[in-house]
Amino acid sequence: MQLKQGKDNTTYIVEAMDLELPLERRLEALGLTPGTRITILNNQKRGSMTVKFRGTRFAVGKRIADHITVKEAASHE
Amino acid sequence: MSKTINVGFIGNPNCGKTTLFNAFTGANLKVANWPGVTVEKKEGYTTYEGEQFKLVDLPGIYSLTSYTMEEKVSRECIMSDEIDVIVDVVDASCLERNLYLTLQLIELGKPVILALNMMDIVEERGMEIDLHRLPEMLGIPAIPVSARKKSGLSVLMHAVSHHADHAIQNPLIHHHHDKQSRHEHNHHTEYAMVYSDALEDKIDVIMDALACSYPTLENPRWHAIKLLEKDESVTAAFPLPDLEKIIDRSYEQEIINQKYDFIEEIIQEILVNKSEKEAFTEKLDHFLTHRIWGLPLFLGIMALVFLLTFTVGDWLKGYFEIFLESFSAAVTSGLTSLHVGDMMISLVVDGIISGVGGILTFLPNIFILFLALAFLEDSGYMARVAFVMDDIMGHLGLSGRAFIPLLLGFGCSVPAVMASRALEHRKDRLKTILITPFMSCSARLPIYVLFSQMFFPKHAMLVSYSMYLLGIIVAITTAFVLSKLDGSKAEHALLIELPEYKSPNARTIAIYVWEKVKDYLTKAGTVIFVASVILWGLLNFGPSGYVTDISNSFGSIIGKAAVPLFAPVGLGYWQIVVALIAGIAAKEVVVSSCSVLFGVQNITTTDGMSTMVATLGALGFGAANAYALMVFCLLYIPCTATIATINREVESKKLTALIIFFQFAVAWVMSFLVYHIGLLF
Repeated sequence: MQLKQGKDNTTYIVEAMDLELPLERRLEALGLTPGTRITILNNQKRGSMTVKFRGTRFAVGKRIADHITVKEAASHE
Repeated sequence: MSKTINVGFIGNPNCGKTTLFNAFTGANLKVANWPGVTVEKKEGYTTYEGEQFKLVDLPGIYSLTSYTMEEKVSRECIMSDEIDVIVDVVDASCLERNLYLTLQLIELGKPVILALNMMDIVEERGMEIDLHRLPEMLGIPAIPVSARKKSGLSVLMHAVSHHADHAIQNPLIHHHHDKQSRHEHNHHTEYAMVYSDALEDKIDVIMDALACSYPTLENPRWHAIKLLEKDESVTAAFPLPDLEKIIDRSYEQEIINQKYDFIEEIIQEILVNKSEKEAFTEKLDHFLTHRIWGLPLFLGIMALVFLLTFTVGDWLKGYFEIFLESFSAAVTSGLTSLHVGDMMISLVVDGIISGVGGILTFLPNIFILFLALAFLEDSGYMARVAFVMDDIMGHLGLSGRAFIPLLLGFGCSVPAVMASRALEHRKDRLKTILITPFMSCSARLPIYVLFSQMFFPKHAMLVSYSMYLLGIIVAITTAFVLSKLDGSKAEHALLIELPEYKSPNARTIAIYVWEKVKDYLTKAGTVIFVASVILWGLLNFGPSGYVTDISNSFGSIIGKAAVPLFAPVGLGYWQIVVALIAGIAAKEVVVSSCSVLFGVQNITTTDGMSTMVATLGALGFGAANAYALMVFCLLYIPCTATIATINREVESKKLTALIIFFQFAVAWVMSFLVYHIGLLF
C-alpha cells in the first residue's frame, strides 16, 4: 500500500520509494530509506500528512506520500 | 601571537546554531554570500586565553551529500583549508536526528567537537544524557552548552583550541555487545562508525586502490565511502576504472541505514530518561494541525496578532505623539530664541522632525507585530502553518512551504524575499518572490493607520485589515493565474520538519525584536532622514531659488508632470504623486512626505489629522481617493531595500525590472477599480 492510504497512529515499514532522484535523495538524507519505520500522526486531510520517522516529525506532501510504498509493521513491535 | 584557529560551525536546521554563533561573536560579524550562490555566509571573531578564533557559520543542513546548494557549500568549505576545526552543533533534545550529520562529519577526518546545545531543554524535560559514554562512542569530545543561557561557551573554545592539531581523533575502543566483528581488521579500534563486514571489505579494497592511484590523498576512508555511495563529485574527481566489480552499484542506502542503526545503538546507551514532552506536542498538534480546525485556528491566531498590533500599538502610540508634539514645539521655540534663520527652522521642524518623528510614532505598532511573529516562530508553530496551508497553496501551484515567506512578508519584505530560498525549484522561488511584496509589510501600516483614521474614523481598524486581506487576495490570484499560464503540473512537494513545541525563550525573542526595531530606527535615522531632507529641498527650492510657496518648487514641477498618469486612479494630485515617488525609498516616507507636502505638522495627532482632512477635502480628495491611495501603496513598487534584495535573489536585472513593472501595473489597475467602484457609493 501507499503511505497516503495509511491510518493515524499506525507504524509502517517503508518498502520502496518511487520519486525523482533529488527528492528521493533528500528523503534518504533525512533517514527515510527502505526498511525505515514510519509512524503516521495525522492523515486526515486530502492533501499533506504528518508523520514521524527517526525521532523527528515531518509534514509530507501528498505527492511524496503517494509514491512511498509501505507495509504495516508487526503490532507487537 | 599564535596563529588564528579557523572554526566552522555546522548543524541541522532548528538546532540553535546561529544563536550559539551569535553568543560568541556578538554583533561583530561580517555577512556576505558564498561566492556564486545566494547562500548567506557569516564570519566573526572571538578570543579565548590569548588565542584568536575565526568563526564561520555554515548553512543549516541535514546531511553532507551534495544535492542542495547549502550542502555543497558546507562540504566544500569544510574540506578546504579554510576550516581547521569543526564545531558540530546538535540539538541535544533531538539527538537521533542530529547525530546523522555528526557521523558524516567525523568521517571527513578533520577534528570535530560536538557542541550539545539546548542542554537546558534536556533538563527541563527531565531527560538525562550520559556525557561520559557519548564521547566514548563517537571518539570526539562532547561539550554541553546552552546558547540561550550562554553557558559552556569557554569550555567549548577550550576544547577547540586543544583539538585543533589532532587531525585524526584518538579512537576510543567501545564494546559492541553481541555485535562482534569477524572482519579481519577490527575497525572498531580505529573508527567510531564501522559498517557491516561486507561493506568494510569493499572499503578496504577501494582504500588500497586509492592509495595506489592518489598517494597524497588525505582521507582515503571518506573518499572510499563516497565512491561506494557513487557520489557524483568524488567519483568525477577520483576515478578508479578497475573497481567496477567492487563498486557495482550505489551502496548509499546501506550506508545510511547502518549509520542510523549505530545512532540507535548510541541513543539506547546514552539517553537515560526519555522525553515526556512529546506527548504535549502531539496533543497540541492534534488541534493545530487538525483537518478542519487547523485553518480557522491559524486565521484566528493571525487576527489576534493584528488586533494586538492595532489596539496595543495604538495605545502606546498615543504617548509617543504627545511627546513628539511637545518636542517639536520646544525645538521651534528653542531655535527661535537662538535667532536661527527661518529656513533652518523649517528644515529642522518641517523637514526632519515631522519626517523622522512621524515615522517613530509607529514604532509601537511595529514592535508588537514583530513580537508576535517572533513568538510564533520561536514556539515552533511556523512550520505547522506550512502544513495547514499546503492544500490551499497546492491549488495555486505552490508548496505549503511558500507560505512562510508570505507570512514573513507581513513583517518586512526583505527577509521574506530571502526566505524564498528555502524552496527547491527556481520557478517556485520566482513566483513566491513576485507575490511576496503584495503581503502588506509593516512599513505600509503607518499609511493605512493614518488614512483610515482620517477618512474612515468609525471603521479604521476594519479598513486597515481589509488592506491585508486585499494583499493576500491579489497575491493568491497572481499565483493562481501564473500556475494556469505555465500549465505545467506543480513540481512542489512539501517536506518540512515539525520541531517540538517549546515555550518561547524571552531572550531569543528579545534579540529578534530588537534587531527589527533597530533596523526600523536605523532606517528612520538614515533613509527616511535623507529622504525627508531631500524632499524638503525639493519642496523649498525651485528654479528661482528658495521659495516660500510650495507650488513653485521643483517637487511640484515633477509631481505635476506625472499627474496625468495618476488622475484616472483618483490620485491626480501632485503632492500625492511626489509622496508616492518618495515612498519608493521606504514606504513610511509616504506618510512623512504628506505631512511635509501639505504643510501639516504632527500629522498623526487628532489636530493634525483634522487639518489634513480639511486640506485634502478642499482639493476634492475624499474617502474613495483615500482608499485608492491605500490600495496603491499596498501594491505598487516595493521599497529600494526590497528591490535590491529581489535583484540579488533572482540574479537578473531584466527580471527584477519586469517584476517591478508588473507590481506597478497591478497597483494601477487595482486602484483604478477601487476608485471607480468607490465613487458609486
